[in-house]
Amino acid sequence: MGDRLFELLFKYRPVVFEQGALALGASWPMVVLAIAGAALAAAVIVAYARIAGGGRLAVGLAALRLGALALLLIALLRPVLIVRTVEPRRNFLGILLDDSRSMQIADDGGVSRGAEVQRAFAPDGPLVKALQERFTVRFFRFSSSAARTAGPAGLSFTGTRTELAPSLAGARDELAGVPLSGLIVATDGADTAETGLTQTLRALKAASVPVFTVGFGRERFGKDVQLGRVQAPARVLKDASLYLDVVVSQSGYAGATVPVQIEDDGHIVGTQDVQLPADGEPATVRVPWTASEPGPRVLRFRIPPQPGEMVTENNARDVLVDVEDRAERILYIEGEPRYEMKFVRRAVADDKNLHVVVLQRTAENKFLRLGVENAQELVEGFPKTRDELFAYRGLILGSIPASFFTPDQLRMMADFVNVRGGGLLALGGRHACAEGGYVDTPVADVLPVVLEPDPEAPFFAEVKVHPTRAGATHPATEIAATEQASAERWTSLPPLTSVNQLRRVKPGATVLLTGDTDAGRDAQVVLAYQRYGAGKALALAVQDTWLWQMHHDIAVDDLTHELLWRRLLRWLVDGVPDRVMAQPSRARVEPGETVTVGAEVRDKTYLDVNNSQVTATLVGPTGQETTQPMEWAVDRDGQYQARFTPVAPGLYEVKVAATRGDETLGDDRTYFRVAPSDAEYFDAGMRAPLLRRVAEETGGRFYTAADVNGLAKDVQYAGGGVTVVDERDLWDMPVLLLLFLALVGSEWAWRRRRGWA
Amino acid sequence: MTAKRTLAAIAMGLLLAGAALAAAGGQRAQRGFRGQREAAADVPEGSSLVPYDGRFTFARLRYDAGISAEGFSFFRRRRGGGAPWSHDYPRAERHLMKILDEVTGIDPYDGEQGGSIVAIGDPELFRYPVAYMAEPGYWTMTDAEAENLRRYLLKGGFIIFDDFRGYDWNNFEAQIRRVLPAGRLMSVELKDPIFHSFFDIESLAFHQYYDRGTPEFMGVYEDNDPSKRLLLIANYNNDIGEYWEWSDTGYVPIDLSNEAYKFGVNYFVYGITH
Repeated sequence: MGDRLFELLFKYRPVVFEQGALALGASWPMVVLAIAGAALAAAVIVAYARIAGGGRLAVGLAALRLGALALLLIALLRPVLIVRTVEPRRNFLGILLDDSRSMQIADDGGVSRGAEVQRAFAPDGPLVKALQERFTVRFFRFSSSAARTAGPAGLSFTGTRTELAPSLAGARDELAGVPLSGLIVATDGADTAETGLTQTLRALKAASVPVFTVGFGRERFGKDVQLGRVQAPARVLKDASLYLDVVVSQSGYAGATVPVQIEDDGHIVGTQDVQLPADGEPATVRVPWTASEPGPRVLRFRIPPQPGEMVTENNARDVLVDVEDRAERILYIEGEPRYEMKFVRRAVADDKNLHVVVLQRTAENKFLRLGVENAQELVEGFPKTRDELFAYRGLILGSIPASFFTPDQLRMMADFVNVRGGGLLALGGRHACAEGGYVDTPVADVLPVVLEPDPEAPFFAEVKVHPTRAGATHPATEIAATEQASAERWTSLPPLTSVNQLRRVKPGATVLLTGDTDAGRDAQVVLAYQRYGAGKALALAVQDTWLWQMHHDIAVDDLTHELLWRRLLRWLVDGVPDRVMAQPSRARVEPGETVTVGAEVRDKTYLDVNNSQVTATLVGPTGQETTQPMEWAVDRDGQYQARFTPVAPGLYEVKVAATRGDETLGDDRTYFRVAPSDAEYFDAGMRAPLLRRVAEETGGRFYTAADVNGLAKDVQYAGGGVTVVDERDLWDMPVLLLLFLALVGSEWAWRRRRGWA
Repeated sequence: MTAKRTLAAIAMGLLLAGAALAAAGGQRAQRGFRGQREAAADVPEGSSLVPYDGRFTFARLRYDAGISAEGFSFFRRRRGGGAPWSHDYPRAERHLMKILDEVTGIDPYDGEQGGSIVAIGDPELFRYPVAYMAEPGYWTMTDAEAENLRRYLLKGGFIIFDDFRGYDWNNFEAQIRRVLPAGRLMSVELKDPIFHSFFDIESLAFHQYYDRGTPEFMGVYEDNDPSKRLLLIANYNNDIGEYWEWSDTGYVPIDLSNEAYKFGVNYFVYGITH
C-alpha cells in the first residue's frame, strides 16, 4: 500500500530512488536560468511589497509565489534519475521456495503458508508472468539445501529443516554460469541452521546478487504454547535427582496453568505445573527427574495441547541423556580420627554409584584404609604421583595440616582440579583451611574461599546453616524431594559448629550455604564453590555435619544427612572428564546428514596425546558395526574426529578406543540419534527481522505476501546481471504538479480573502 | 537356756564377723584392691558434660543401678566404689584419653574431668557417638531411656560395655533386648576390624583383672550381619577399665596394662571411624 502510494506520487517505486543517482538534464544554460529566476523572484518581492505594504501578509504571499516559481524552475531544470536496469530477457532470476514443514502452518486457520506461496508464485500468476517478461526464471525448492524444481506445484512441504545459508549458496552456485539478477526467497524465515548467515550474505553482496525476501505467515501466533529450550546434561550418573530447566513461552494463554511432563519410553517420569507468563515472555520451569534407568534415554518434554492452539508440534522436545551406571571413585584423606569421616562414609554407603575410598591417618605415619579395591591401593599413603591421584574423580580433604603433604603433593592436588578436571571438597576442621596452614599453598589458590592469613585462634562458633538464593535451588543442597520441602527442612536442622573462620569468597565463587553465628547473620561461609581450570573446588567450612544424622531432634529414619552427602558428592564428580572422552557434534541429525564424532585423548597425567591410535566404532540401531580410525585434529592437541553419515533412523552408539603402542589409553562411548527434527515448528512465526536483514545486506528488498506484486518492477532496478544505464525523468512527477497547484491555489485563496482577487 | 545363749552368741559372732568382713571388703573395693580410688560421690545428679567444641570427648553412661547395686545383697556380689556406672571414674578415662592423645592422631578432651558423664536418657547423648558403660550387670532403665539408647545406636552410636561378669550377664542381656529387640548378641571374632583398627591384636586370650571367668568379647552387629558395623561391644568377664585406672601405679604388670590400652584404643578408633 505504501509503495503503491509512493509510486502514484513520485512516478516510480522507492527502489528506483534507492538505486538511482540524481542528475539535471536541462538543455538551458544554468546561468540563464539562474538570472531569470532571480529576476522573477525580485519582481515578486517588489510587487508584494508595494501591494501589501510590507508586513507578515506580504512575506507570506511572496513566499507562496516564490515556492511556486521554485517548483517551476526545478521542472525546467529537468531532474532525472540515472539508474541501472537489467536488460530484458538477458538475465536469470532464481526463485527459492521454502519446502519445509513449517510451511504447512495455517496462520489464520485457513490457508497454509505453503498454499499462499504456491498461489503467489503460480506460473500463470501476475507476479511470475511479470518476472518472466524481463527474466529467465529458475525455481528452486529448499529446506536444508536448494534443489531445482519445475515450479511451486512440486512442493511437498515436508523438509525437516530450513537452512537459508546453504540454500542461498547452493542456488547461486547452480546459476553461477549465467548472468544472475538476483534471488527471490519465499519463506517464513524459520531458519533452523546452527551456523550463521553472515559469510553467505557477504559473498552474495560481493557477487552483486541481491536477495529479495518474501515473508509468509504471521510474526506472532494468536494462540500458541511453545516448549522452548531444554537444558539437560548429556551424561548423568544413575539415580541422580536433577532439576531440568525448560523454557516455556506462549501467546494467548497468559495466566493459565499447564503441566510440563517428562516422558521416558512412554512413561511419565517427571512433571511440574507452570503458570504461563505474559505473551511473548519466556518462563523457566524446573522439572524434577531421577535418572533411575541406566543407558541412553530419550526424554520427551511435553506440554499437552491447549484448547484452540494453532501449532501443537512445538509443545514437545526430545533430549538424549546418557545415564551412566558406574561407581565414581572419590578419595577422602582425613588427618585425624573424627566422626565426620565415619558419617560421610555411612551416608553414601548405600549409593552404588559413589565409591568413597578413605585414607584415615590414625597416628603419625599410620593409616587406616577403608574401601580400597585391593591390597596395594594407597598402601604407601597419600598418592605421590599424578597418575595415582588422577585415577580418582573426586578428592575430599579432611582435617589434615598442609605440612603433612610435600610441596609436590600440594601442587598435585591443585592440578587435580585445574588440569585433571576433578572435584575437590575441602572440609572444615582444626587442621583445615588457614588453621591447617594452607595459606599461600597451591591448594589455597584453588579453593573458593579466602583464607585469612592470620586466623584468630582458636575460633569456634555455633553456626545455624541456611541456603543462599543460589543454594535453595542447587542440586547439591536440595535436601528434600521438592524445593519447598527442602527450604522447610533447612530451617529445622540443628546448628553445627565451625573452627574455621571464613567470611569471604573469591570473585567468581558461589556461596550455596551460609551461616548465622553470634557475630551476625550470614557471618560464616558454610559451603561455596568455584570453577577452577578444568574442574571445580568446594569448601564446606563446618566440622560436624554428622550432627544432622546423630542429633537428638533428627528421627532415626530421617535421610537428610544421607541425601545431602549423596547429592554433594554426586555433584562434586559431575562432569569430571575421563582420559578418553567422546562426543558427537550434535545429539540428533537428519537421516543422511553427516555427524562428526570428536574424542579427546589424554594420558594418565591428563596431558593431551597427539600420537595415539584412536578408533571409532559406530553401532547402528540394528547392531551393525562400522569401525574407522579417528584423525587427529592437527590444530587442537589431543583431539581426534571421525565422520559418519548414517541413514537409518534410530539410536546410534559410538565406541571410541585409544591406544599408544602397547599402552591402552582408555575408551568411551557416546550416543546420537538419527531422526527428523521438529525444529521447524519452534519459533515458527514469520521472522521478518531475519528476512529484512538478508535483503538489506545483499542489496535486495523485503516483502510480505501483501505487497509481493511490486517485486517484479523492483528487481528490474535492484538486480544485477547484464544491465544498461537509463535515465528516468522526474519533472513530470505528479507530486510536483500537486505541490505547484497547492502553492498557487493557496496564494489565490489568501488574496481572495483580502479582496485582492 | 545355755544352748540358746550359745546360739545367740554364735549368731552375734557371725553377724559381727560378717559386718567386719563387709567393712573390710568395702574398704578393699573402695581402694580398688590396691590403690586409692577417687569417689564419684561429688558428681551431681544427671549428666555432667564437658562443653562441646567438636573434639572427641570420652562419654561415660550414667544409669540408675536399682536397689541391689549398693550395699548388701544375698544374690549378687557386693560392689564398692560408688555407683556402678562410675566405677573407675575418672582415672580410667583420664588415663585413656592421655594414651589416645599420645598414641593416636585423636586430639581428645584430656582435662581433669576425664570426659563427660551422660545420663542414658539425656538428649545430649547424641553428641557423643562413642560411649562407655561400666558394670552393666547393674544397669536398669526406663522405657524412655531404652528408646533413647536404641535411637542412639541405630543412628550411628557405639557403646563399649565393660566390667561385668558371671550372673551380670543375665541383666545385661535383658537390658540389651529392651534396647535392641531384634539385636542378637554374638561373639566378636579376632578377625573383626575392631581388633585391628589401630593395633593388630593377635589374641583374645586376655588376662582379666579379677581372674574370674574367661573373658569373652560379645557384640551386636548392624542387621545382625558380622560384615557390617558393630553397634556395641561387651567385655564380658572382663574389666579393661580397671587396668586403665591403675596403670600409673605399678600395681599391675605393665604388659597387662598395655594390652588393656590396646583394646581401649582400638575400641575408640573403631567407634570413631566405623
